[in-house]
Amino acid sequence: MAVSGWFVLLVAIGAVPLVAFDAPVVLPAWLALVVALAALDLVLAGSPRALRLARTLPARARLGEEAESVLVVANTGARRVHGVVRDAWEPSAGAIRTRSPLDLASGERAVVRTRLRPLRRGERRTEHVTVRSWGPLRLAARQATLRAPGSVRVLPPFLSRKHLPSRLARLRELDGRTSVMLRGPGTEFDSLREYVRGDDVRSLDWRATARRGGGVDLAQRLIVRTWRPERDRRIVLVVDGGRTAAARIRDEPRMDTAFEASLLLAALATRAGDRVDLLVFDRRVRARVQGAGGADLLARMVDALAPLEPELLEADWRAVPALVRSVTPHRALVVLLTSIDTPASAHGLLATLPQLTREHVVVVCSPTDPDVADAARDRSDAAAVYRAAAAERALIDRERVAAAVGRLGAEVVTGSPEELPPALADRYLALKAAGRL
Amino acid sequence: MSTRTADERVAVATPTARAAARRAAPWAALAAAVVLAAVIVTALTAGGPRERFSPHDPSAEGSMAVAEVLREQGVDVVPTTSLAQTRAAVADGQTTTIVLADRDDDLSSSQRRELLALAHRLVVLEPDLPTLVDLAPPVASAGAADPVLHADCSLPAVQRAGRVSGTSQGYRMLEDPAAADATLCLGSGDGVYSIVDLPEDATRVTVVGTGAAFTNRDVDRDGNAALALTLLGVDPTLVWYLPSEADVAARHPSLASLSPDWVPPLAVLAALTALAAALWRGRRLGPLVVERLPVHVRASETMEGRARLYERARARLRALDALRMGALTRLAALVGLPRTAPVDDIVEAVAELTGRHPRAVRDLVLDAVPRGDRELVRLSDALASLEADAVARVAARGRKGEWTP
Repeated sequence: MAVSGWFVLLVAIGAVPLVAFDAPVVLPAWLALVVALAALDLVLAGSPRALRLARTLPARARLGEEAESVLVVANTGARRVHGVVRDAWEPSAGAIRTRSPLDLASGERAVVRTRLRPLRRGERRTEHVTVRSWGPLRLAARQATLRAPGSVRVLPPFLSRKHLPSRLARLRELDGRTSVMLRGPGTEFDSLREYVRGDDVRSLDWRATARRGGGVDLAQRLIVRTWRPERDRRIVLVVDGGRTAAARIRDEPRMDTAFEASLLLAALATRAGDRVDLLVFDRRVRARVQGAGGADLLARMVDALAPLEPELLEADWRAVPALVRSVTPHRALVVLLTSIDTPASAHGLLATLPQLTREHVVVVCSPTDPDVADAARDRSDAAAVYRAAAAERALIDRERVAAAVGRLGAEVVTGSPEELPPALADRYLALKAAGRL
Repeated sequence: MSTRTADERVAVATPTARAAARRAAPWAALAAAVVLAAVIVTALTAGGPRERFSPHDPSAEGSMAVAEVLREQGVDVVPTTSLAQTRAAVADGQTTTIVLADRDDDLSSSQRRELLALAHRLVVLEPDLPTLVDLAPPVASAGAADPVLHADCSLPAVQRAGRVSGTSQGYRMLEDPAAADATLCLGSGDGVYSIVDLPEDATRVTVVGTGAAFTNRDVDRDGNAALALTLLGVDPTLVWYLPSEADVAARHPSLASLSPDWVPPLAVLAALTALAAALWRGRRLGPLVVERLPVHVRASETMEGRARLYERARARLRALDALRMGALTRLAALVGLPRTAPVDDIVEAVAELTGRHPRAVRDLVLDAVPRGDRELVRLSDALASLEADAVARVAARGRKGEWTP
């Protein structure tokens, strides 16, 4: 139950008869009256237990966009329920208003809408609905909490998709669809066709030209080979979901940066005709997206990544080669999204890399903290100098790990959280152009 | 938009009033049992008020023994705690003795003077100075008396007692005893007596210093009982007056007695209103929802921690070496040497590039040991300026290279 401000006022008004009649019986009599009125109000209030609830929720919502939760409340009780209803979304679900007025006659139903503007990705839940039903005098209310669980899966924002158009343009340059028709190492034979002005003379196929036989205009009989970039290559994204992923750089955990980079690369690679598989992994596989293509791939990826949070344990890199082999037995581009901070923490990674680089092209992708580089430059006072020394030490450690990774035959891509996704996409394009996939 | 529909039948998380009562019942029973036990224990151990000379107090300091024996002897013992009660208890002043023990000095002068007019005999137990001034002006306090005293006067009570023992107070006459018509008894020598009997106005006032004789502990020693019973048992009525707070209140009216009668209930009502307001504002609309927060740590935390460690340990050389290693790596790249090049080669190349003396450069990047924070900052600044200088020179050379091939 609950009492209202009117109830408090009614208790306070008791001061008037108390002073006016000045008899010892007035106080208990007034209190008895107030309690009796409140009890009467409680008895006449509609029961919140008689309400029936049904939820309609969007299964998915993208971070930064608005979703609407619909709650249908039906009154099966005999009395009118007049009061307030609260849909108890967790704070990060970003419910704009959790309380709504409710006035339901017996047998009626009403729709309670709550707009959600989620603050974090993942499963955003609501556990229960609380209803407070006032009596006709508005002095006291009956209150009950009804279990009505529900959840909305909030997808990662994929902010780095703004880099996609420029990278797709670069991809088209590589591809045969633009007028630039270069034969390069990263391309494979596509078809023969007649020469048109502007074609590279180095791609003329003299044997095919000879086979075609004589004619008047030589230029009209020349045959060129066309080339296209290699297709149907395999890309395996391995995201480290261990404790290093819990580190936050600026306002973004490393894990989210890794997701952004994965999504951008996946979007780019599917357009380029390559096949992308994703593993999120610490000591066990936390998420796996395999065998999806096209638009379906991105949808499945964001869905799989949305509820993941870093686990506070060290990733077991020894299991990674077997995992990659289980995804594809062929040569692939393996992208390890982790962190290379200190030789000690990268030990497991370095021990496993040779096995991977023997069979695959490996890119180690790690977000770096721009604050460290800033700190290394700040020498304003003694404390700042000690800080700069620690920052230099961190940079040196990272350089050493990066050098070790390079020596083991893998590529390193680093960058601040904003720079990393496009940097990884560029490295992919470079590898593709160089035909190393 | 796919929809998820909750079960039509709703589970209610809030317990019904009956269920809540059932759950709370064992605890309520336990609380009731504890309160009951406390009440019983208090009732068994408490034996009335503990006060010296109280006729209700059975403890060592009380005087219940004397009062009870007097009652058995047919004396009407009336205990009182205020002057008003005392006034009411005295029906006939000529057949009443009042025994007074004002240990906390609760009475005022006028109240004491009023006592004198009430009865014809007044026994004052262990009076202090203000009491003496009002009730027996010629008597003054004289400190402790001998522990064992012998009968030495004609007072019947003292005669009957013979020997009185226990700690007692002594008193001294300020005037001539004969002039004051005073009887002095139980002397400890040097003019100090423990019982002084003298007339004041129309009343016989007996100042008694042998308080121990009246207490439960010492009443049965030597002639103590005889002294006490004889002193108090002269008249058929004995008013046993122990002044209390009520006498003080009678002099100074309290705020409560001045304010109107509706003030206390109004205060109660105000408190209840506050309670109702607390219930009104404090009642939550359903339980809190727990936010499951992931663990996130700032990535630069380890760097900050290491910086504070350097600072606290005053590891200046180690800090400077980290700065030097970073600078050397960058300088090596600048002058076109591999990362693994020996320091001496880098020093040579940098000295040549910047036009500094190789010794000075070597000292800066290798040899100098900072002796204090000030020197550390100076060396770090010098390193930074060397790096900036080298960068500027390389940039200038690059521009020159571009324009004059």
